[in-house]
Amino acid sequence: MEAQLVEHKVIAKSSPFLDFWKTFSRNRMAVVGLVMLVTIILVAVFAEQIAPYDVTTSANITSRDIYKPPSAAHWFGTDDAGKDVFSNFIYGARISLTVGFFAAFISIFIGGIIGIVAGFYGGRVENLLMRFTDVMLVIPDLPLLVVIVAMTKPKLMNIIFVIGLLGWTTTSRIVRSQTLAVKSRKFVLRARAIGAGNMHIIRHHILPLVMPLLVVNAILVISLAILNESTLSFLGLGDPTALSWGQMLNFAFGRGAMSAGAWWALVVPGLGIVWVVLGLTLLGHGLEQVLNPRLETHHLMPGRPVVQTEAGNSSPILRSARPVLLEVRDLSIHYITEGKPPARAVENVSFTLHEGELMGLVGESGCGKTTLMLGLLRLWPAAGQIVGGKVHFMGRDVTAMSEQELLDVRWDGISIIFQGAMNALNPVRTIGDQIREAIIKHVAILPGDKVDDRVVELLDLVGITADHKEHFPYQYSGGMRQRAMIAMALACNPQVVIADEPTTALDVMIQAQILELLDSLRKRLGLSIIFVTHDLGVVAEMCDSVLVMYGGVTAEYSDVDTIYNSARHPYTQELLKAFPDLSKPEKRLASIPGYPPRLDALPAGCRFAPRCPVAIERCHLEQPALHRLNGRHVASCHLVEE
Amino acid sequence: MKRQQYLIKKISWAVFTIAVVLILNFFLFRILPGDPARSGIHDPRLKKDAVEAIRVRYGLDKPVINCIEKVNPVVFGGCLVNPLDTQFFIYVTNLFKGEMGISYHTNRPVAEILVERVWNTILLIGAGQVLAIIFGVIFGIFAAWKARTTIDYAALLSSLLAWSLPTFWLGIILLFWGSANGLPIAGKATPGMSSMPWTDQWADILRHIFLPTLTYTIVFMGEYMLIMRSSLLDVLSEDYILTAKAKGLSTFQILKDHARKNAMLPLVTVIAINLGFTVAGALQIETVFSWPGLGGTIYESVNRRDFPVLQGTFLLINVSVILANLIADLTYSYLDPRVQSES
Repeated sequence: MEAQLVEHKVIAKSSPFLDFWKTFSRNRMAVVGLVMLVTIILVAVFAEQIAPYDVTTSANITSRDIYKPPSAAHWFGTDDAGKDVFSNFIYGARISLTVGFFAAFISIFIGGIIGIVAGFYGGRVENLLMRFTDVMLVIPDLPLLVVIVAMTKPKLMNIIFVIGLLGWTTTSRIVRSQTLAVKSRKFVLRARAIGAGNMHIIRHHILPLVMPLLVVNAILVISLAILNESTLSFLGLGDPTALSWGQMLNFAFGRGAMSAGAWWALVVPGLGIVWVVLGLTLLGHGLEQVLNPRLETHHLMPGRPVVQTEAGNSSPILRSARPVLLEVRDLSIHYITEGKPPARAVENVSFTLHEGELMGLVGESGCGKTTLMLGLLRLWPAAGQIVGGKVHFMGRDVTAMSEQELLDVRWDGISIIFQGAMNALNPVRTIGDQIREAIIKHVAILPGDKVDDRVVELLDLVGITADHKEHFPYQYSGGMRQRAMIAMALACNPQVVIADEPTTALDVMIQAQILELLDSLRKRLGLSIIFVTHDLGVVAEMCDSVLVMYGGVTAEYSDVDTIYNSARHPYTQELLKAFPDLSKPEKRLASIPGYPPRLDALPAGCRFAPRCPVAIERCHLEQPALHRLNGRHVASCHLVEE
Repeated sequence: MKRQQYLIKKISWAVFTIAVVLILNFFLFRILPGDPARSGIHDPRLKKDAVEAIRVRYGLDKPVINCIEKVNPVVFGGCLVNPLDTQFFIYVTNLFKGEMGISYHTNRPVAEILVERVWNTILLIGAGQVLAIIFGVIFGIFAAWKARTTIDYAALLSSLLAWSLPTFWLGIILLFWGSANGLPIAGKATPGMSSMPWTDQWADILRHIFLPTLTYTIVFMGEYMLIMRSSLLDVLSEDYILTAKAKGLSTFQILKDHARKNAMLPLVTVIAINLGFTVAGALQIETVFSWPGLGGTIYESVNRRDFPVLQGTFLLINVSVILANLIADLTYSYLDPRVQSES
């Protein structure tokens, strides 16, 4: 029993390393780099055993041995002194690697200390050290190296020191910024609060977190040191007694290998340098990917093809006298990742939007609202895919459109007011320019001044004066940016505007202004709006109809009065309880315990069952169908069946 | 107002750095052993008045600077000497007059040699950088756009390989290839070309500069590609790209109007930081191809122990790099309107 416990502990303790090793070994670049590096280090260590010739003696060499081409006796030919290039290459590895590693060690030591001291102590010390680093960073390395080495004795030790003493600038900058980041973390502040000394904090709290970055940087510094040594040697400034790869190239280039056509004497040592530096580079690049993984996806990656299906036979719902602009039938959108179950972000969602209608789309974060909205224009990231259903916009099937047709519908027919306009506006182009662009793209070409008139008119519509037209987004306040975003969304007179939480991150006064603006624009311009929000108060005040989503499916969908007065889905009821009612101020606000389900690990039964206060056994086993209650009212809950 | 403050800050930083370089340049060449004019003074075979004549000729009889009589070994001296009559002051005033001493090897003024050579380096670096940036940006955009496809991996691997090549060695390999294909392998022009029409002269220079520029482009393209790729990947996952897509812009329009400029901002910084490597590259390439520029001058003056030329070249290179850095900073502030408001 006890032995088992101990064993368990050992495994648990080594697991961070094992985890690292697992991800590392899956990174092909890093593994190849490591193998290349280890091979050449082994060659350098076992030079005596591997090299076919002894390079220290010139016995048995005659003038006829000079620059002999590759043969069975000399795999890579001979050099200007008649010596075996392959053997020189193997011993050269030893010298080049020694210089690289030792010089890099010096650089990293100095850079590490400067970086930690500057980052940790801050204030004047930091200022002084960083100014010094900046000056050193600007002065080019190689000429300084050349000057210093040329004026001192060409001894290997000198060269190592000079390269080491000049190569620390990048290290100190990286270490400093990492130290700064670590310094203000909670556990360091706590350690300080319980009286830990500076040295203790640096050794036990800061160094371990700086280490990974330092290792990646060390790899770069080593490769630069090796390149610098070979360049110095090639320029004739190396130690003439130490035949490094650079020195071999210097001798061959300076002593007629070119005119003798002895390519082997020039190619082989260079390949050695390339081998080591490439190995280090691959290792460093791979390590960086392992330590700091990033999703290499973006908005321009080609999307997955739409799966064309016939819409289910659920009859169209919510008919009214006004013409239908947008009809979504049984739309399903999944995110697909290789080797993982798909994330079912939207499933079988249907709704109808009429001319001039304002529909509220309500639900917690992560319930598929944004995916659904982006899905209407097929705008989601590359992993997303429509796996079923139809979107009809003014009678045309958006899911069957070609890329070109899509470009025409976007913004001209349906536009989006994105949330967080700071990020949704291009920071290096003026507001006017970004609005103008949309007009030029979609509206029949007008003479330049007319486009500008239209931009002024749009800005005026949202209460921004013309003199702000050529300002950049950072010169606007948060509310102004959101209003500019609205102006941009209206630029091409779209039929439908999707407002994706347009008021998050704004203060209450500005929120009210923006909402009022949207409502008045709807009435003046006859827009249809889909309003994505958490705010049930806004929905009650403005919307005609409400779609409540939960875990990617429709929870309930009806006109606004029905939702507020006789909601049938427990989720809707809970949401309403969480919303303050001014007529009953004594009522306590309730929150719904728990979180929405992960879309890639949905429960077997009703998606809301785990959090539902009234769930019965059936709810956990069987997914409820969407029940039609009367005319416009649907809800997906077993309990409405009775 | 903010823009002015930014300019003043950057310019004063450049002036400060240049001052540091001036001081470094002065003391470095006095502290380190190896200068024949200075170390030769200790040669026992020289007569005393000859030594004195050399000392006077190079101004070595004067104190180095206030409080320091000599360096190497350091001898402290009177602090009350006339500051105008110290070696440091004379060095600085001479520099402002454009005098950088006389070459030991050719007996020509150093400034004259440098002026003659600097244009060749500017020509080489200019052509190489422009091509490296153009190709690096184009390939980087392609790699990012086609992220995680074979095209992307091929581009990534070849740029890592290009980064790993020692510049001088790539030069040697291309030299080998060029000489086998009848390209000129050394210098800037074929002797005797000056009597030919200028079109032929330019064609001749173009043939000479082809291989050095090719080397330069290959070595620097890889890194620019990597930077462009990674910064474009960042930009393309920004919200405003989704906005642009929602606006119905085509992929080409988004890349051209929304992503390119933003993604190139980090590139400007990298180009500035790279100027040091640029000089290192030029030094190696000029040596391999016997190109008559500043890098070649360093190589020659090291081998000839021609210290006045070495000192002058070193100073010129450092000052140029600092000024180029300044230009890069100012360009950045012009490209990114946010910079002025933040700093």
